[in-house]
Amino acid sequence: MDLVTFDKPPISARERKLSRFMLFFEDLIKVPIFHCQHCGECLLSSTGFVCSQRCPKRLRNGPCGGTRDDGHCEVFPERKCIWYRIYRRSKLLGRIKLLYKINRIHNWNLEHTSAWLNVFRKRIEGLVLFVPKNLDIENINDTQRKN
Amino acid sequence: MTLREKINSGKFIVCGEIGPPQSCDGDVIRRKAQYFKGIADAVNITDNQTAIPRLSSIASAKILLDEGVEPIIQMTCRDRNRLAIQSDLLGAAALGIRNVLCLTGDYQKLGDNPEAKGVFDLDSIQLIATVAQMNSGYLLSGREMKKAPEFLIGGAANPFAVPFEMRLIRLYIKVKAGVNFIQTQPVFDPELFIRWMEKVVEMGLHEKVAILAGVMPVKSVNTLLHMREDVPGVKINDVYIRRMEKAADPQAEGIKIAIEIIQTVKNIKGVRGVHIMPFMWESIMPTVVKEAGLCN
Repeated sequence: MDLVTFDKPPISARERKLSRFMLFFEDLIKVPIFHCQHCGECLLSSTGFVCSQRCPKRLRNGPCGGTRDDGHCEVFPERKCIWYRIYRRSKLLGRIKLLYKINRIHNWNLEHTSAWLNVFRKRIEGLVLFVPKNLDIENINDTQRKN
Repeated sequence: MTLREKINSGKFIVCGEIGPPQSCDGDVIRRKAQYFKGIADAVNITDNQTAIPRLSSIASAKILLDEGVEPIIQMTCRDRNRLAIQSDLLGAAALGIRNVLCLTGDYQKLGDNPEAKGVFDLDSIQLIATVAQMNSGYLLSGREMKKAPEFLIGGAANPFAVPFEMRLIRLYIKVKAGVNFIQTQPVFDPELFIRWMEKVVEMGLHEKVAILAGVMPVKSVNTLLHMREDVPGVKINDVYIRRMEKAADPQAEGIKIAIEIIQTVKNIKGVRGVHIMPFMWESIMPTVVKEAGLCN
């Protein structure tokens, strides 16, 4: 399993400019609807279209052990635990199987870059639109990499 | 026998836990180690628990090792980025430490330095996968090491937090990332724990990972109330609070409850041991273990 998203190829100055341009249009959609935090490695489609990066610990692989009984965050008790919302939304949309995926360690060089461009340049995995019925949770990381 | 050999041999494991002092007094660890010697198979050393700076986990583990107690270091992602984690793990391995418990860590706002910057470069699952990769001889960068560490990888699980199914998913991916043993949050709600274990057995995870149930002997009803109010993710059955309130001798009642819980979890299918957390009360460890009949 690949743990880290590597900088291959390295991000050129030209690409950074292009990324900034694309980020403008990306923000128009992602900020109002998903409260995008600009991690540059978008996980939205595997987390039930709720941005996981709103978690105070910025967890990418499920909730920490501190979710309160009413589903609220341990750090900000007035807020719902974002992973609680991800679970509820994934259940609603039938995308629970995607939560069995181990997401890679965040590449901080991609912070504040356009995720769309990163998908196009094959730095990160693309959107998962449909969850196949026979998706095997045992090999979910392998199947996704092939796409 | 090391912890790895004991787990492989199928022995019922007893783990303890020591909280290092908020000073540089290593003798505190040496004194506390005596309560665990010959009693516990391995002892956890907390890593700045509840986000309060304490004597370092690896340094304390080295003291325990010299005292003849097998340590399990805790490694949290709150204070270290991936560089520090890898270098600390290599350092721990060089000192002869063989067990590591991978945790995300309490948020810094809950401790006594709430203004601190939290790192959270990795999360606990990525940390488990990182240690597994280091065990196979490669650093995160992909560079091959001349000598690979041989860590027994531990993880934590909280069967009592919501949503219930998400906790099982977390356990599943921790197993997939390469965890060898799991320590749970203290059990104060045995029914919920039994329900969780049934699901774990159903998923077949109990064969891939050794599950150690958490048990916490408490001194007074205030400790229980504090845990229920201020420690998120801990579920405490009201029965225990009522019993502690009514008890003439709360300490004896606390020990009795701990022993009852040990007897209950011992008979659950899939539970391979207990993890006893005598919070600020390490001296009680020998009594609890002996009275629960876990002494060899």
